[in-house]
Order: sequence, then structure tokens, then C-alpha cells
Amino acid sequence: MSEYYGYAGKILRINLTRNKVKIHHIEKELITAFLGGRGFNSKTLYHEVPKHVKPLSPQNRLMFATGPLVGTTFPLGARFNVSAKSPLTGILGDSNAGGHFAAEMKFAGYDQIIIEGKSPKPAYIFIRDQEIQINDADHLVGKDVYETTETIKKDLGERSVQVATVGPAAENRVLYAGIFANLARPAARTGMGTVMASKNLKAIALKGTSSIKIADPKRFWKIVQEIKEETYVHPQYWPRRLMGTTRILMLADRLGILPTRHFTSGTFEHAAKVSGERLAREYNVKNRACFACIVPCSRIYVIKEGEYAGLYGEGPEYEALSCFTARVGNSNLNLALRAVDLANKVGLDAITTAECIAWAMELYEKRELSKKETDGLELQWGDGEAILALIEKIAYRKGFGDLLADGVKKAAEKLGKGKEIALHVKGLEIIQADPRGLKGYGLGYAVASRGADHLRSEPFIELSDDPKKGMEMFGVPEATLRLAHEGKGKLVRYFENWCAIIDSLEVCKNLAENMELLPFNRAAEIAEAVTGFHFSKESMFEVGERVVNLERAYLVREGIRRRDDYLPQRFLKESLPNGNSKGSIFEMEPMLNEYYAQRGWDERGIPTDATLEKIGLVHVAQQLSRHVKNSPVKKKWSSRTPI
Amino acid sequence: MKRILIDVDRCSGCRQCEMVCSFNKEDAFGSSFSRITVMKEDNFGLDLPIVCWHCHPCKAMENCPSEALERSKDGLVFSKEEKCVGCGKCLETCIIGAIRLHPERNTPLICNHCGGKPLCVQECPTKALTYMETETQQPKLPNQIIKETLRRWKIIV
Repeated sequence: MSEYYGYAGKILRINLTRNKVKIHHIEKELITAFLGGRGFNSKTLYHEVPKHVKPLSPQNRLMFATGPLVGTTFPLGARFNVSAKSPLTGILGDSNAGGHFAAEMKFAGYDQIIIEGKSPKPAYIFIRDQEIQINDADHLVGKDVYETTETIKKDLGERSVQVATVGPAAENRVLYAGIFANLARPAARTGMGTVMASKNLKAIALKGTSSIKIADPKRFWKIVQEIKEETYVHPQYWPRRLMGTTRILMLADRLGILPTRHFTSGTFEHAAKVSGERLAREYNVKNRACFACIVPCSRIYVIKEGEYAGLYGEGPEYEALSCFTARVGNSNLNLALRAVDLANKVGLDAITTAECIAWAMELYEKRELSKKETDGLELQWGDGEAILALIEKIAYRKGFGDLLADGVKKAAEKLGKGKEIALHVKGLEIIQADPRGLKGYGLGYAVASRGADHLRSEPFIELSDDPKKGMEMFGVPEATLRLAHEGKGKLVRYFENWCAIIDSLEVCKNLAENMELLPFNRAAEIAEAVTGFHFSKESMFEVGERVVNLERAYLVREGIRRRDDYLPQRFLKESLPNGNSKGSIFEMEPMLNEYYAQRGWDERGIPTDATLEKIGLVHVAQQLSRHVKNSPVKKKWSSRTPI
Repeated sequence: MKRILIDVDRCSGCRQCEMVCSFNKEDAFGSSFSRITVMKEDNFGLDLPIVCWHCHPCKAMENCPSEALERSKDGLVFSKEEKCVGCGKCLETCIIGAIRLHPERNTPLICNHCGGKPLCVQECPTKALTYMETETQQPKLPNQIIKETLRRWKIIV
């Protein structure tokens, strides 16, 4: 039993080089400053993975962490973060997944698992409470995600173990391979699977039999019941239950922000044919949920007739669905399902894979790529054969796929073509929502600590286009108008802090944030009821502030500056040609200036000493001032206890 | 008698039932302390809650070497902890695998319907569990449920 309520209480450290295991107890200071999950990981990354460490070297750390609400009845999902230095971007790598892995990790007794070194031969780790085995994985090499999971379950003779594994893409060092739990629950972004494979680690299997205690059961139960009542009558409850995130596809099309044919259009003429609505009507047979979640938004689909009839699986979610339809110009839903299934099996990040394919397709359309260079593939928009062939080629680094397997930034550099249309920020490919029609989201992509990604901020409130909300929350009516650029600095700062605590508590953003079920004050209440430590709305906001700033400090140490916080030129120069965001472009400079000012960062994008000191990151401020040239020398540091 | 019935099409596999059960009975959250267990098959997305049916007759009761399993006057099977030797014969012989041993006390965990108001049924987010009168004395076997469900969903494994 843990020393602390709500936590399993232990950090497990496995050194694969030396075949050694260490267990530490977590400390109170770590809990109150970082809560868990992403907070724990970012702190470890900052302190243990310095600048000179190469992402695919044994010195990199691979970390799994989960939060205090996981493994209880808390009904808003149970997730885990995987972090390491990313091979795709060379900076902070971090990805988050749901399913049942996180809860099992808590029941096994660990809040964080840190993997160091590199195993001399292929291995997988099996953890059953205190018993940690490093098993031989020779027989798993080259096996896909589904086969590996099944084989490990058979080997261990237990159906209820939770397995997180990498596929062949990771083993072939594709730089954007993910880690897959429950078959279709990937922590896919930023190449965490590649880091895992570089350690010769094929999978982690878990089985836990201990339990989690909480500080104030009565208060906890009361808050949980409140949340449940609100959820069941929430206007988003049924749409989410029927369609999950795929409901966004039609919404994005209506708003003119559905990136089509590599962001050359904001609407897709075949959207209805590949929509979540159609999936729900014709394909889905049942719903599934993550651990303890009361909104079963994941769906099992079965292709009942036509091409690929008989194919079944879990998902897909909006990003993967939209990536393999609108982004690559494909109107065949069955083909898209097959593509997502294939990407899952080989263990790829669907967003980055689709960006690489769409990028190549645009170059092909512009005749900058010839059939000779693409191994004879005709990269026409929506060509099913080409899409499936490219996924396979990327995963096994065959022919043209070898170029794409390094991500779109490096591919453009190597090819010497298409740099201006390689759509990424800091090396991470952009997601499926056009920033020209969603300015707050766009600013979020630009400044997100892991590269172009919405899950670091996700200021969904923009979609309401309600100036009253902007006035109320930020004193700027434009802040909540999606096509306006004023007030977005305030907006993004607020939502970044919110997302940081949601990631650190390890609950689901769809519910906690998008459905507004876990605002700062309630997050403080529930954290207090579970952990027994005092939290307030303000201290929660500060935790968010701390996580974001620590991650920024990490980036600054890695050399990231203002120039890296720009969206690709396409969004700054070409306006949207059609749809309900027609004519809009992205105003980068004023938005970035406002954001830096709101954050307390200087014009280079570096957190000032005062900003870091205020949130207790004195050591970080001191270290940063040594790293950054021309920073004003400051002699007196605040006396507040350092974190 | 009233029994907990399961609708496999509705179950999302979220395991809220396991959590509320362990919390209610043991004051702690842990699936190994729960009287109800969700069997999960990620391959074809099937989730099947398994909970004691209180069969008549009960195979586990018949096979218990220390006669620790008894039936109450309401027809519920329960274990007399002082008689139990922790041999695990009950979990081997239960026809649906609904029994397991408490990880610390090593005695069988058997659902007692929370005294007539099962919390798992009350808290199930998708209403996959219902508490209803039924005279069926033996439950459908898990393998049979899986087979029928996959046929209905048109999934060929």
C-alpha cells in the first residue's frame, strides 16, 4: 500500500544495459508541484536527458507515467503519457494514450516507469506487482502489433495482462512509430515507439493486483456523482457515444477547416461519404470505453460488404479517419478503414504518415516528383493502391518509403524539394484542422512544446464564435472568435495550462476539457479529495504554468527560439480558397508577440528569470541563464523553496 | 429469484462495475478485489462482465472440500470464511469462472447483490447490467455468448 493517497507510490527504474531494477518512493514535493503523468515525465526529461543525448542512444530515457485519478472510479478516462527525447523532432517527445494500460500500471504499484539503457538482445518486460522479468523477445521480432500482443498473452498464459508494444515500423527505425496499448490505443506522436525499439525493447506487459486508496472517499464520491449527472445530460454525450471524435469531420467541413488534399482546400466534396455519421449508421456494431470512463466513445466497426468486407477493428478516431480520407483526397471509406488498420498493425503514427503521403502527392501533382522516383507508384489524390503501398513501404523502409520514414521535414531536406509545402512545426507534422480557420488552435500548434499539435492547448471555445465568452473569460471579445487574431495569446495560455493539468492528472481531454467537466476549481477539489493535499484553483493554474514553462525551458536548452515557433508559410501566405473560412490567412507575428507577453517570455521566446522564479523553478532559471547567451546576469535569486 | 443479467451488446468494458464493487466492499480501488470481472477481448472488441449467477445446483459448492460454501435462505451462495482453507477448488469448478480469491485473505470473492441493491448495476454507464427476476437456474456459458455475439455482429474470427 502506498504512502500517499491516490498514488501507487513508486517509481520503477529499469536499466536494460545492466539488467538492473530500482524502485524509488515518490515524494510529496513532486506530487504538489507536478501532480503526475506528463508533469512527472517532463520533470524527469529536463533533469535526466541533457542536450548532448541522442534520441536513439541508450542514454535517452523512455518514461511511462500516470496520474492520481487513474485506477479509481473517476469517470473521465484513465490515460498514460510516454515521453523521451524524440527522434522525429530532436526535442521533447511526448504522447498520450487511453485504454486499460494506465490503470493496470497503478494496480501493479507504479506511478512512473523509467527505462534506461539498451538491452543486448530483443526483450520484453513483464511486470507482475513487485516481480519484474526481462524476457527474451527473439520470437516477437518483426511481428506486428496484433500478433505481438496475442503472442505475449499466450506466452504468459493470461488473457487479462495489459500489453503496450511496438510494431515492425519501430524496429525498422521509422522515426514516427508509436507504442500501442490494447491493440488500437496508440501513444503515437513524436516517435516514442522508435525510442522503445532502439532500446531493443519490444513490449511491456503488466498485471497488477494491488489497490488504490483515496483520502476522502465521501467527498470523492460526491464529486464523481456530480460529474456523472452532468455528463449524462450533456449535449455532446450522445454524439460522442455514437461517433466518438469522428463527429468532427462533418463539423470541420461545415466550418471550412477540413484540410483537404494537403491543405489546399478547406472543404471536402465527399465528406459525407467518409463521415462519422456514415460509420455510425453502416459500420459500427458496439461501443467501447477506456478504463472507468462513462462515455464509451470508441466504436467497433465491421465492414459488412464491398471492398475489404470482413475487416473489423476498433476506431478509427477523427485524426486517423480524416487523415486517410480528406488529407489524401480519398473518398472510399472502406479503403480508409483498411489504411488505418494497416498503420495500426505496423505501428505508425497515422497523422505523420498521412502528411508524408499527402506531401508526396502534392509534389507529384506539381510534377516535381516523377514516377521513377516513387518506385513506379502513381501518386494521384485518393489512389488507394498508392496509399496502402506507401504505408507498407514506409514501415519497412522500402524504396521511396525510406525517404518518407524520416518525417516530412527531413524528407524535404534530403530530396531538396518541397520544403515550403512540408507542413510541420519543429519537425512534427501538423494535425487535421486548418489553422487559417481556427486561429487559437493555430497559435497552439505554433508554440506547443512537442511541435504542431492541438492537444497541448485545444482552445475549443473558439468554435462557439461567441464574443460574450471571450469578454467574460479574457476581457477580449475576439478571443473566442475563430477567425479573429486578437486575444489569442491569453486564450492559448489559459488552455495550455488547463491541458497540462489534465495531462498530469491523466484524464481525457474530450471529456475533462471539451465537455468542460473538469474546470480548474473542480480539478483542485478532486485532487484534494483523492490525495489529501491542499489544492486550489490558483495552485492548479500554477501547476499548469509550471509544466508548460519547464517544457519550454527544455526546448530553449535544446536551441529552440522564436524562429521555430512559426507555422509553415502556406498558412501565412496562401489564403483558404473555399468554404466558410474562405479568404482567411494566419497572422503569425501579432499573435506570437501577444502570447510571449502573456507567458512572461522575452521576444526570443525564452522564459524570463522572473517568470520561472514565480513558479518555483529557480534552478531551471539559473541553468537557463548559463545556457542562453546575452541573458542579463542576475545575482540575487528569490528565496522561495526551489522545486 | 433476482439475478444480475448482462447485455453484452451494451457493455463498453469500462470496468466501472469492478471499481465500484471493490470500493464498496473493500474501501479501496482494485480490480482484483472486485466480485465482478469484465472479460475483455480486444481482438474483436468484446467485453463480457462475469458475476456469480448463484446457480442451482452450484458446482463450486458441490466440489468445496471443506464445505465452506453455503446457500442463504434467499438462494445466494456465500462462503463461510472460517471454514475456507483457500484451496481454490471453487474457482476451478465454477462453470462461468465467476469466483476468485481475495489477494490478501485468500478466501473466495462471491457477489452478494449488495443486499438487494447491487451498486454495479446502479452505476453501470451503459445499462449493460440489470437486476431482474429470473427463474433460469443455470447461466449461459461465456464461450457460447461470445460465439453468438460474433455471429450477430458478422465478425468472422
